[in-house]
Amino acid sequence: MSTAVNVKPVKEKVPVHLRVLRVVYYLIMICTVLLYLLPFWGTVTTSFKTAEEALTTNPLSFPEEISFDAYVDSFEELKESLITSVIITVGGALGSVALGSVCAYGLSKYRFKFDGLFFLLLSAAIYLPYQAILVPLLKTISNLGLYDTRRGLILIHIVYGMPMCTSMFRGFYSDIPDALIKQAMIDGNGPWQIYRKIVLPNTTIATVTVLVFQFTSVWNEMLFALTMGGFDCMPATIALNQMVGALSAEFNMQMAGSIWLTLPVLLLYMFLGKYLIRGYMAGAVTAS
Amino acid sequence: MASITIKDMSVSYNKGKTYVIEDMSLKVNEGEFCVFLGPSGCGKTTAMHCIAGLLKPQKGEIYFGDKIVTAPLKGIFEQPQERNIAMVFQEYALYPNMTVRKNMSFALETKKAPKEEINRRVDEMAKMLSIEPLLDRKPAELSGGQRQRVALGRAMVRNPNVFMLDEPLGNLDAKLREQVRYELKKIQRKLGVTTVYVTHDQTEAMTMADHIVLMNNGRIVQEGTPSDLYDHPCNLFAAVFLGTPKINTFDCKVQKKGEDYFLVHPSFILPVPEEMEESVKLFEGKTVIFGIRPSDLILVEEGSEGCISGTVDGVEPLGEAFLVYLNVGGQVIVFKYSGDKTSFSGQLSLRPNASKFHIFDKETENRIND
Ligand SMILES: Nc1ncnc2c1ncn2[C@@H]1O[C@H](COP(=O)(O)OP(=O)(O)OP(=O)(O)O)[C@@H](O)[C@H]1O
Ligand SMILES: [Mg+2]
Repeated sequence: MSTAVNVKPVKEKVPVHLRVLRVVYYLIMICTVLLYLLPFWGTVTTSFKTAEEALTTNPLSFPEEISFDAYVDSFEELKESLITSVIITVGGALGSVALGSVCAYGLSKYRFKFDGLFFLLLSAAIYLPYQAILVPLLKTISNLGLYDTRRGLILIHIVYGMPMCTSMFRGFYSDIPDALIKQAMIDGNGPWQIYRKIVLPNTTIATVTVLVFQFTSVWNEMLFALTMGGFDCMPATIALNQMVGALSAEFNMQMAGSIWLTLPVLLLYMFLGKYLIRGYMAGAVTAS
Repeated sequence: MASITIKDMSVSYNKGKTYVIEDMSLKVNEGEFCVFLGPSGCGKTTAMHCIAGLLKPQKGEIYFGDKIVTAPLKGIFEQPQERNIAMVFQEYALYPNMTVRKNMSFALETKKAPKEEINRRVDEMAKMLSIEPLLDRKPAELSGGQRQRVALGRAMVRNPNVFMLDEPLGNLDAKLREQVRYELKKIQRKLGVTTVYVTHDQTEAMTMADHIVLMNNGRIVQEGTPSDLYDHPCNLFAAVFLGTPKINTFDCKVQKKGEDYFLVHPSFILPVPEEMEESVKLFEGKTVIFGIRPSDLILVEEGSEGCISGTVDGVEPLGEAFLVYLNVGGQVIVFKYSGDKTSFSGQLSLRPNASKFHIFDKETENRIND
């Protein structure tokens, strides 16, 4: 890949049946993409319509006059819950990523008693269906006095996000050569210094990848939000759903609200996309 | 600066199922340049990592000077960061996120040395290793040889108790290797730092070491000065491992004729030198291995007594000498000639230098003569 050879591609004669096949492939792909984008297109067009137009016209038709009313109104309605979502997401994602990272560092670079068993239990937690623990969890959270509080939801997201973060980080950290860690020890550093000065700076891509992953899952999460939240602490995913049940079906409001909700995630992917690809593709470290 | 003492150390990677090092005992004196020499996989790196505190042996004790640093059975283990050692890893282990300068100053900064002092030492070392133009690059932008020099420099800027190098010259070209070897030895002597150096290259060991520790299969085969090992290899393995070209070996029978003892080979008969008779006597009638180094063979008139004769098989000019390959009864041996002759052909007769005989027991491969 690295040695780019400058050769003009030779125009080959492609047999007819292959050319037909290629056209068919493209048609199928275009159809799939259109099908996939259709709902999103409907969301966008409807969000720019007035309430009346949204009710009376085809959802896919272009708005007669672009109106931002729905955006303004839905933002007003969702404001509180969007702030709640931001706080929960930042807290939950940062917390679980920080814990997961430290945990993975310990698991991948040091040997201790029962480390294998510990990781096994941790991984099991990833596959635990949340529905199964919902009732005891609700009881615990209420007993702690954290029901319907942002702190409660943050705590839950930290705890349940940590195993996944650990396992993702562990994959990245095991690519760091052991010799690097040993060298840093020899150079007079303890485990925490090594983590701070060697491990973290060499795995920024890993951190970004896991952070975005965790940010998205907490932001989009509904089950915990619905059961552990309430009126005081209502994340945006729930608030948006509640808009449906208002006096009349205000589709334009709902659609504009959906756009508000997806915006942060979309922006995140747009700006960090190139890191993510690299992070997903392969090892996050290219050590000497 | 400190001496290193190892007592009965055994190391296992699988909790004692199999040992890669067994009952190793060793003393490296203060300021000594000690080379761990041995074939690949014999446990050199493992032994070194134990000294550095990167590995905990199952048994045994390690002392730096009088201070005990490792004693698993007594529950004593000093962490590597407290041992004040500098080390060059086989894999270089340069920090990818730091520039060359930062790599070299990292340990000193950790110890909170003054800034000017750090810069002065880094610049000095960079100059010595000719890596000044590379100081602002990252390790990924360096060639293998350059990385190796940075790794060396990084260890040498420190002022350690013990200096450890794991095959630090492996990736350098011949010329650079000789130069760095020389510099390294010079710096070591100047600083007087106790040094442990790992290599499987016997030339490196012979030229640099004050003290060679020859290892095989996790055990010390022999230790001593380079000339101890070269002149008195304690067994066949040591004899073959040291010296290039390799020592010539023959299976011979010990026979007594009259009062004298002879080494009898299908192609030649050699009298056993008088001072060796005492020890060879016990092997009368048995097969032994007779070894003679290529430079301990002397060219003599054809057909002389007590000679090894053979036909010339090939010649390699070395510049100051010739390596002549002789076919002796189907076995090819090497002879190093440094006289005036320039062409070799036909039959040659060689007399082994009587004081340089190496005789080994065929069964145990241990040395017989002293
Ligand atoms: N982390 C490890 N786990 C299990 N076995 C190991 C480990 N490291 C080394 N070994 C084994 O221990 C033995 C000694 O290895 P060591 O690395 O000390 O050899 P070496 O003498 O340094 O060889 P080389 O010259 O190739 O570097 C080898 O047989 C090797 O397979
Ligand atoms: Mg090694």
